[in-house]
Amino acid sequence: MNKRTVVLTQSLFLAAFFAVRSFAADEEALKKDLTAVIALQGLPCGQVVAVKTEAENDYAVSCKDENKYRVYLNAAGRVVVEKRK
Amino acid sequence: MSATRICLFVTAALGLTACVGRRDIPPPSPPLTSASPVPEPAATTVAPATPQPAPGVVPRSSVTTPAPQAAIKVAPPVVRTPVPIARSPQPAAPPAASLTLDLNTLKKQLKETKAIGLFSKIALKNQVDDLLDDFRKYYQGKVKIDMTELRQSYNLLMMKVLSLLQDEDQKLAAAIVSSREAIWDFLADPKKFATLEI
Repeated sequence: MNKRTVVLTQSLFLAAFFAVRSFAADEEALKKDLTAVIALQGLPCGQVVAVKTEAENDYAVSCKDENKYRVYLNAAGRVVVEKRK
Repeated sequence: MSATRICLFVTAALGLTACVGRRDIPPPSPPLTSASPVPEPAATTVAPATPQPAPGVVPRSSVTTPAPQAAIKVAPPVVRTPVPIARSPQPAAPPAASLTLDLNTLKKQLKETKAIGLFSKIALKNQVDDLLDDFRKYYQGKVKIDMTELRQSYNLLMMKVLSLLQDEDQKLAAAIVSSREAIWDFLADPKKFATLEI
């Protein structure tokens, strides 16, 4: 195997490794943030276990206690938490 | 590529990952409220103990060992210990005063802290704005709520802020706790509240 190919493979592996890790950390931070937002509104959730991005600043959230919410930033700049079935 | 090289590479990657994954642990904040009062009693108890010429008997009953050692280090070996002792209460006062935050500083520090996520910050700001609106309406006589209800809302909001901060930004949480009453006094005074620019 060519030496350049080896170096390139190593670099790609490293980049992918850190990218995956960074993405996971970001997602965990988002879940924590959304958990805090729901709690701030006084709604039951426990802990956010899954987040699906619907649009920018608009998330569909599933909680550990099986509640589901839509959390989004409205035009007035307010964070809104809507319960979903 | 040899197997040894691959092993070395993976080990290095895992080591780096461990470093990256490690969260910033805030430095253990000194006990903010209890830090300043401690030196004062130590200094006052030391005062009678050191100037005694000790006429042979060993009447040293005090257990305050650190304070005399510090005094001895600072002062020359002459028996002039009361001079540094008299100075000690003066530097203790400014840190206690600087612990209280005004609203603008609090706002700035809450914006900057990494302990609260962006959405939570916006949600908190919404709730702060709502509370300030309630105060405004109360002072204008537009709403039928009393000061007790406003105080309850204020306490609840403070609890929310502290619960978000206490694990990851203990310094700011402690500062907020110490400023809590000062902020309330500000909000509960119509004249001071009228000067508010948030």
